[in-house]
Amino acid sequence: MSLLIAAFGFGLVSMSVIALAAVGFTMQFGITNMINLAYYLNKAGISIWIAMLGGAAFGAVFSFLINRFVYAPFQRKGTALLGMVIVSLAISLMISNAMLPIVGYFSVSYRERFSHLLHVGALALTVNQIAIIVLAMGVMLAVHGLLRYTRLGKAMRATAANPTLARNCGIPTQRVIDVVWLITGGLCGLAGVVAALDSDSFMIASGAGFLITALAAAVLGGAGQPYGAMIGAVVIGLVTELSAAVWAPDYKQVVAFGILVLVMVLRPQGLLAKRGALAAAG
Amino acid sequence: MNTYYAANLLIFAGVDIIACLALNLQFGVSGVVNFSFIIFQAAGAYAAAILSMPPDTAPDYSFQIYVGGYQLPFPIPWIGGAVAGALLALPVGVVVLRRLRADYQAIALLVTSIIANTVINNARPLLNGAAGVALVPQPLQDQFNTNANSYQYLYIALTAICVALVWFVAARIVNSPYGRTLRAMRDNEIAATALGKNPTALKMTIFTVGGAIAGLSGAILVGFLTVWAPSTWLYPETIILFAAVIVGGRGNNLGAILGALLVPVGFEEVTRLLGRMNVGPPNLIPALEWVCIGLFILGFLWFRPKGVLPEPRHVFAGGPIEEDTRWIEGTRAS
Amino acid sequence: MPLSEPMLTARDVHRHFEGMHAVDGVSIEIEPGRITGLIGPNGAGKSTFMAVLAGTLPASSGTIVFRGEDITRLPAHQRARRGLVRTFQLPSEFAQLTVLENLLVAAPDNRGESLLGALLGKRYWVADENRLVAQARGLLKRFGLLAKESDYAGMLSGGQKRLVEIMRALMLRPRLLLLDEPMSGVHPSIVSEIAGYLETLRDEGLTILMVEHELHMVDRLCDPVIVMAQGKVIGQGGMAMLRKQPEIVEAYLVG
Repeated sequence: MSLLIAAFGFGLVSMSVIALAAVGFTMQFGITNMINLAYYLNKAGISIWIAMLGGAAFGAVFSFLINRFVYAPFQRKGTALLGMVIVSLAISLMISNAMLPIVGYFSVSYRERFSHLLHVGALALTVNQIAIIVLAMGVMLAVHGLLRYTRLGKAMRATAANPTLARNCGIPTQRVIDVVWLITGGLCGLAGVVAALDSDSFMIASGAGFLITALAAAVLGGAGQPYGAMIGAVVIGLVTELSAAVWAPDYKQVVAFGILVLVMVLRPQGLLAKRGALAAAG
Repeated sequence: MNTYYAANLLIFAGVDIIACLALNLQFGVSGVVNFSFIIFQAAGAYAAAILSMPPDTAPDYSFQIYVGGYQLPFPIPWIGGAVAGALLALPVGVVVLRRLRADYQAIALLVTSIIANTVINNARPLLNGAAGVALVPQPLQDQFNTNANSYQYLYIALTAICVALVWFVAARIVNSPYGRTLRAMRDNEIAATALGKNPTALKMTIFTVGGAIAGLSGAILVGFLTVWAPSTWLYPETIILFAAVIVGGRGNNLGAILGALLVPVGFEEVTRLLGRMNVGPPNLIPALEWVCIGLFILGFLWFRPKGVLPEPRHVFAGGPIEEDTRWIEGTRAS
Repeated sequence: MPLSEPMLTARDVHRHFEGMHAVDGVSIEIEPGRITGLIGPNGAGKSTFMAVLAGTLPASSGTIVFRGEDITRLPAHQRARRGLVRTFQLPSEFAQLTVLENLLVAAPDNRGESLLGALLGKRYWVADENRLVAQARGLLKRFGLLAKESDYAGMLSGGQKRLVEIMRALMLRPRLLLLDEPMSGVHPSIVSEIAGYLETLRDEGLTILMVEHELHMVDRLCDPVIVMAQGKVIGQGGMAMLRKQPEIVEAYLVG
């Protein structure tokens, strides 16, 4: 379920003309690092819910800085889309490895655990899981409101549709992109803490698997569509959880990957989008 | 420096050169960002292993489980490794390269690499899972004493022959009209399509050729190491090869060789030395190695995106000029 | 093919994007041996229509017949091989190839262009290559760019890039050339030169459909002219006749 929040951020940013891969990799390390940050805050005796806010804030600032000092300069230099993919992968590798000697290659688990179950009909959920679902829905509503009803949201949609035109119409596209990175980074940080809360333990290597599920959700929903990513996330989340229950948890990612392959073969434009991930035409 | 160490170095260099030449064909020449490159090397290694090993019921091999085990003589396992790489390229290429946008292709390939590793790691009956296959017979081991120095020289020679063969193929491709079409597709895929080129077909051919070469590199590697496990082909290995091609010079075969010598080979040696000197905590050196590789990639993309040896300009010798342009059929029609 | 038959016929062609009708039921015929102009205000769907004709974008519905063959379902590269070749509004040269290589890439019949041909070696394809180099140099000479053959195409001026794109298209021996604003981004002093080349090609019998904004260029080159607005054809014929129709003047020619 934590996937929901992150996949939503995924759709949000890829909508905003930033290379999708950049977001993906940023999320990957953003999430792993926020988990660790929250872990240390938690160990220091701070409630995990406050640590979560810290994770979100740190993620927001971090991804903003990376965009400002790495991605944006490379883009201004005219680095092509695929060059940006390589740049972001390099950044991702560097940061997670710079973290490694500091946090170690072991798994962490949070101190605050709610073990008691609540029964809703046939479902048995922990308090944590319910909190996560509520949080995810809250985030989705908030982003929906932002996109639909605010001037910033309109500016974001205009920038996504046609950055040059948006700039000519007086929209400060640079600032819009900065804000999008802040929001995405924040969502990633949040998703990271939540992901670790939902599972029993987490380590740096878990980030890679996360990329698969988020990518599958985004492609399934139709790339560049925040609402598509949302539906994709719900579908992928449910299917992988069910498969883990009836089959084996080891293959959760494989199931997500299977869905990804099916979508790429049968409907590469995604469920919602008309064009989406298809090659753009000249 | 003893013979074994020198052989080690030369054979790793040969394998890395072969891999970089293949990746250069895909990434440098054709613009296909194959983030799953390492799984083609792995496919070749596993194929060569099970082609040369006895069945897992054999007395010395019963501690592992794997499919097949055919005990075929050299060079069939090496050829089989190349074939396996090429065969793997077909389904992966058909799914990923057909209709997705280029940046999605890149991540989809990365994801493929991660998943392939997860599956092989967890599905033990297939290829012995996380422990990997061991005791892989070495080429011609029934005719030579594999512990003797002379066998090391033989292995170096076999590797060198493969390097020469791959160089020959890569040079012919890069210098041909086919290579020119690949470079055009890299520069502007939509324009190439408008000129009658089929980008999916072009990508599939170079994906398959690159897969075969990568498979061969895996076969050479497993014949030397005699073991092969999922931990040897994690996706960051692909990134090292990308760093090599970017540093050496995209689109230049000589650049790919230089990059292979500078990045994978050079780094291996430096870290081996530093490792001996016991600098810092145990995880520090490998972690720093990755940070350096990242800096290498960023630094080159920023300061020298064409690499140390940029792609050479293809200049044509003077010749006759066909001044009668009536060959343009559309204009001759009336 | 008899001259009376149109080179290309589009019947009721539609193209939708996310609920927008970029091309909304266009039916036209392209006469052979002429330069047909395609004009209209920004966002009229001209470029989208060109892309649909060339197959860069598939048509949502409708039929396209080229030289008697229904090509509606053919992918772009197969249309190009049949002689329906387009250029682009934005410069789209192969930047890291030389000018001569840009032309050679477009040639459809080089034995060295397949993987197998490449592996068989130079001796297998050198005859084709030499023939095509001679032809490409003939074109370069005619278009005044012979001295630039070894320059990287990415380093050329806007006008020179346009010429490279036109020559590249000619290497394919097109039956119908689709030019999307061939004068955009070109220095005014070269515009007339390009127009001259296009006139010569027309006089030699080449059929051209071009999108153009500069009305004096349309006056000079194009007959007939098709006017599009909001995805539909709102008029066609000679420029003199179109100028007399108030609704067209209102839609485009004035404002």
